[in-house]
Amino acid sequence: MISATSNVAASETDTTARGPLVLLLVSALGWLLVSGVLALIATIQLHTPAFMAACPWLTYGHTQAVQETAAVYGWAANAAFAVSLWILGRLGGAPLRGLGLLTVGTVFWNLGVAIGIVCIMLGETTAVPFLQMPGYIHPLLLVAYGAIAVPGVLAWTGRRQRATFASQWYAVAAIFLFPWLYSAAQVMLLAAPLRGVGQAVVAAWFAQNLMSLWLVPTSLAAAYYLVPKLSGRVIANYDFAPHGFWALLFFGAWTGTRHLIGGPLPAWIPTVGIVTTLVLLFHYVIVALNLRAGLGGGRGNVVLGFVSFGLAAYLLGGLLDAVFSFRVFAEVVQFTFFPVAQYRLAFTGGYSFLVFGAIYYLAPRITGIVWPSPGLIRAHFGLAVLGTVITVVSLATAGWVQGKALGDPATTFTAIAAATRPWLLGATAGEAILLFGNIVLTVHFVRLQAATVCPAWGSISTLEASAS
Amino acid sequence: MKNGPLLFIGIFAALGLSWAGLALGSNAQLGGLAPYYDQLENRAFPERAPGIASRGKLVYQDLGCAACHTQAVRRAGFGSDQDRKWGDRQSYARDYIHQERVQLGLSRVGPDLTNVGARIKSAADIYKLLYQGTSAMPAFPFLFEERLAMAEPSPKAVGRVGDREIVPTPRAEVLAAYLLSLNSPSDYPVEKADNTIAPAKKEGEHK
Repeated sequence: MISATSNVAASETDTTARGPLVLLLVSALGWLLVSGVLALIATIQLHTPAFMAACPWLTYGHTQAVQETAAVYGWAANAAFAVSLWILGRLGGAPLRGLGLLTVGTVFWNLGVAIGIVCIMLGETTAVPFLQMPGYIHPLLLVAYGAIAVPGVLAWTGRRQRATFASQWYAVAAIFLFPWLYSAAQVMLLAAPLRGVGQAVVAAWFAQNLMSLWLVPTSLAAAYYLVPKLSGRVIANYDFAPHGFWALLFFGAWTGTRHLIGGPLPAWIPTVGIVTTLVLLFHYVIVALNLRAGLGGGRGNVVLGFVSFGLAAYLLGGLLDAVFSFRVFAEVVQFTFFPVAQYRLAFTGGYSFLVFGAIYYLAPRITGIVWPSPGLIRAHFGLAVLGTVITVVSLATAGWVQGKALGDPATTFTAIAAATRPWLLGATAGEAILLFGNIVLTVHFVRLQAATVCPAWGSISTLEASAS
Repeated sequence: MKNGPLLFIGIFAALGLSWAGLALGSNAQLGGLAPYYDQLENRAFPERAPGIASRGKLVYQDLGCAACHTQAVRRAGFGSDQDRKWGDRQSYARDYIHQERVQLGLSRVGPDLTNVGARIKSAADIYKLLYQGTSAMPAFPFLFEERLAMAEPSPKAVGRVGDREIVPTPRAEVLAAYLLSLNSPSDYPVEKADNTIAPAKKEGEHK
């Protein structure tokens, strides 16, 4: 519940920040659709390698790299900026400042991503996971990010109250950690690459921390903000929240190298990753304790439904990471579709759902009108849940089948392809459903924006009448 | 938490520690690895890739081959890598010291390629694979071009359509040269000693 005084300040934030935040969200949704189409093409290519094979821009190596780039630097990044800036502004208690810089930064960021994606398709890629765009694009993105982050830093330093809330820690951590992480990876992998397999260590560290130290803190900032608002209950065991926060930062940052098990490296490197992945369970327990009010399901509130599913996927992802980092399981699932399924559970199930919840919550508050159609929100929720479950389960099963077959030296790759084909077809169906759901969200968002210009587009009712 | 600067320092320390531990730590241990000089053969291993193979590696990178192929053999007993004849020994950090961009790979939709040059002996076999594909691997028709066949057919030709033959482009040729160059040296004494389990001592034995 929002008090009367904060309502006034909030409405100020809403009106002033509307343009730049809508620009971020429109960009995010555009990239979400691009990555959805590419994910569909990439999974089709996995079970039918001849699909689009004659097109040099769309080899599987390219579609996979472009899909990953559009999903992370397009969808996830733009949405993360919008959500974290909005939360910091809201909790800072003052309107966001530096919005001109934010707009300029957003334009250049998206321009950079678009150029980078075209470059990958033309064959100019670094082939480093999560850093696929050519080396000269990344400095541009870093400078653009500097402009985007300004309103967030100003909202944090200029906050009205000294005491801070869990959402703010996570949002501030995400805002500061991303540029440090990103620049360190650029230097050590692209500008002045480390010698030999040191590159693989930094690449694993970077890929994991893009999730653990940037996207996860952003989505948890949203979760800690939304759960009390939507469920109407305070955060349980709030005293533990700082421990959960520091555990994620101090242990999560080391977990990436678990993927290098069995690799051409000293054994301590993957071992550190495995141990910290287990220790990180402490963080998941605290998040579950704190946000258990949000885990109970929607009960008619579909926005809370998004948050619940997102939290459940995040917690399950953490548990699976721990279990499947053990050597006995890692031996089977390493280099298969199983880690892809784990990543999709954390990214599509965890991150995207929490951010969808945040978008459904904040969009009416920055435009001043409610969503035109509750039915479309429910449709998106249903499709997103179905698509995520089908994709993750299919990929995980395909990965397990593939891993077992790889372990038997007599099984040929043709036989493995035949054995995984049904499950990869399932994953294709899942991707198609996800894409359809995201089209529903995008159409709905465009309708909401159109309704602010032309009221005939939406069933206009004022925010005060129906929100909270 | 009320202390803003402390939060800021904590965030920085979390990332800095992991960076120092993993990036600097592994670099301190592995960054100075030198090639092993074999006095009997009078050569240093691993050897630098020939120029044509280095160009082929860029094609490998540009096409995104690492999306489906790894380049690291795991130790015997962890996975079936060595049973699948992908290598006689596990890969060591020293194998990669000359590589400008290390592409270990994350996925094995296709076989490991660490020692593919030892398994596939001729460029013609690679051309055939790249041109035709398999049920598990796409074909790469854009790496080939048609040209008017001469009286004497090209030894590189992968097929013939009427009076025209299909030959690999320069990109396909350097890619094949790269793949044929992939073959780890037999072993390094230091790594071999470190990774061999000492035979169990007999009862009462001191040495």
